[in-house]
Amino acid sequence: MRRRPVLWGLAALALLFLLGPILLMVPVAFSSGDTIEFPPPGLSTRWFEQALDYQPFLDALRTSLLVAGGATLLALLIGVPATLVIQRYRFPGRKAIETLFLSPVIVPELVLGFALFQQLMVTLRITALGALLIGHTVLLLPYAVRVTGASLAMSDPALEEAARGLGAGPVRAFFRITLPVMTPGIVAASVLSLLTSFNNVPLSLLLTGPGMSTLPVEMLRYVEFSFDPVVAAVSTLLLGITVVVALVTERLVGFNKVFSQ
Amino acid sequence: MTPVVQLKAVTREFAGTAAVREVDLTVTRGQFVALLGPSGCGKTTTLRMIAGYLQPTSGTILLEGRDATRLPPERRNIGMVFQSYALFPHMTVAKNVAFGLQMRKVPAAQIRTRVHEALDLVGLAHLADRRPQQLSGGQQQRVALARAIAARPAVLLLDEPLSNLDARLRVQMRQELLRIQRETGITAILVTHDQEEALELADSMVILDRGRVVQQGHPREVFRAPRTRFVAEFLGYENFLDLPGRGRITIRPEHVDVVEHDAAPPAGGESVTGTVAAVRFRGTDCVVTVDVGGQNVLATTTNDSLRAGSPVRLFLPLDRAISLTGTDSVPGDGGQGTPSLQHQQESPA
Ligand SMILES: Nc1ncnc2c1ncn2[C@@H]1O[C@H](COP(=O)(O)OP(=O)(O)OP(=O)(O)O)[C@@H](O)[C@H]1O
Ligand SMILES: [Mg+2]
Repeated sequence: MRRRPVLWGLAALALLFLLGPILLMVPVAFSSGDTIEFPPPGLSTRWFEQALDYQPFLDALRTSLLVAGGATLLALLIGVPATLVIQRYRFPGRKAIETLFLSPVIVPELVLGFALFQQLMVTLRITALGALLIGHTVLLLPYAVRVTGASLAMSDPALEEAARGLGAGPVRAFFRITLPVMTPGIVAASVLSLLTSFNNVPLSLLLTGPGMSTLPVEMLRYVEFSFDPVVAAVSTLLLGITVVVALVTERLVGFNKVFSQ
Repeated sequence: MTPVVQLKAVTREFAGTAAVREVDLTVTRGQFVALLGPSGCGKTTTLRMIAGYLQPTSGTILLEGRDATRLPPERRNIGMVFQSYALFPHMTVAKNVAFGLQMRKVPAAQIRTRVHEALDLVGLAHLADRRPQQLSGGQQQRVALARAIAARPAVLLLDEPLSNLDARLRVQMRQELLRIQRETGITAILVTHDQEEALELADSMVILDRGRVVQQGHPREVFRAPRTRFVAEFLGYENFLDLPGRGRITIRPEHVDVVEHDAAPPAGGESVTGTVAAVRFRGTDCVVTVDVGGQNVLATTTNDSLRAGSPVRLFLPLDRAISLTGTDSVPGDGGQGTPSLQHQQESPA
């Protein structure tokens, strides 16, 4: 602190800037008042009760969890084998395929969402839930490929050969060696994918239909016409869940591992 | 006795270019063979074909008498030590060593004793529960060796196993490797580009040049009688001379006598005249570079009165000169008859 006061001062400011609004939200969620105001006139848990009683939020939460879980699973099922092929084999068009898997990151999400909306929901008449699942899978694929790819790239390609030489067939070499070596990468990719999907708004906004909405979209709709602290209560709950997920991930694989990849 | 490994006219091409050409190789039980040659000559490619990681373009590979050319690695009964060691990072040392035994369905109780035996052999029994990342380079090397031999494979394959170790450890591990090979009697093929390593370890040396075997035999034999200039140069010979009536010879600098330029040619050898081009003082003696009609010849002498420009006569005792009878197989090899000595200043091994 004493050595570089300017640096530390800037860091503290940045932290305050990032965390400030979030920290202000928590007391508002516990307000006993009827509107969003700071400081709150008194403390109560009534907005939490109301949030948990509000059926559209509960439905949206179920959809969000379903979509996040399903899309993460699908993205890993497609992304992990794709990563293996991209990392381990040299073939013509390899670079092109890699670029293809990473491209959703470059395309603006609203554009991606609109394209999928047109194709999936208008042309193919797929349901909102189906469209959400497909859309989020596309959104998450780059994470699955990138993060697992990084963990694979760091491992020695001779590992599988060593296993084969020691008598393991290709399948056993994969399950005993390659997969365990990739596990931290897969866990990291899952966490990142779950959170990315769960928090997504732009894509979901275009792919949700009547009676089918994700939690962030539903929250957005709610604040459009309402000023009570219900959304603050939901946000506080989500914050709590995120912190728990982060702590569990830290315990499982270590944060430096997740974010150095 | 059936050879443990036999290669018959094995060729491997990459995109139409042969990395290994028509290689014949026979390794008998208990033999320690070194594949030696400069970078890119096809050593690793040959070893990987024996292990089954690469398929030959043509030719046959026999392992213990059976055609193994198309067998996958897991059915070849080989043990390989990789240059990077390739230890499984998510397993302990003991689990690494046990892996090959598990794959071969050895009963659990037996696995435990054999893992212990293998680790004992390399002197690492006390580190059985460590992870590979917690070991030094030399220790990892030993674990890799223990893992490769624990399942008692027919042949142990080593691809430059010592190249990642520092110089002192490398010399020490050479002795270890030799002891372990002698104690287990395992058949081994070692790939190296370090001729000293090959001379010290192997009882048969195979020298490769651009994918071809150019000479093989006992290291001492090959060292005493290199057939071609390529082999001689690779083994550290520096002087190459074309003598009328004797063809091309090579001779060590310490065997060349520097005599007065007007001295009578002594019997029992050839003599040539030339001019001193450079003198390098080494303390007890000097290394002089003598220009003999455009060819540079190195000689050691205790005569410290020689200066650049001095005319001298060189005496080459016949019993020390080695005739290079073979020609380097592939045309276009480094300047026939023009010795490239100027950049090879260290004395031969
Ligand atoms: N997978 C590959 N694709 C294309 N060419 C290859 C491949 N593997 C090897 N080669 C080529 O084959 C030749 C022999 O390579 P190899 O790795 O066997 O050499 P080496 O004797 O082991 O050399 P070093 O001492 O540098 O390890 C080289 O010219 C190399 O470029
Ligand atoms: Mg090599």
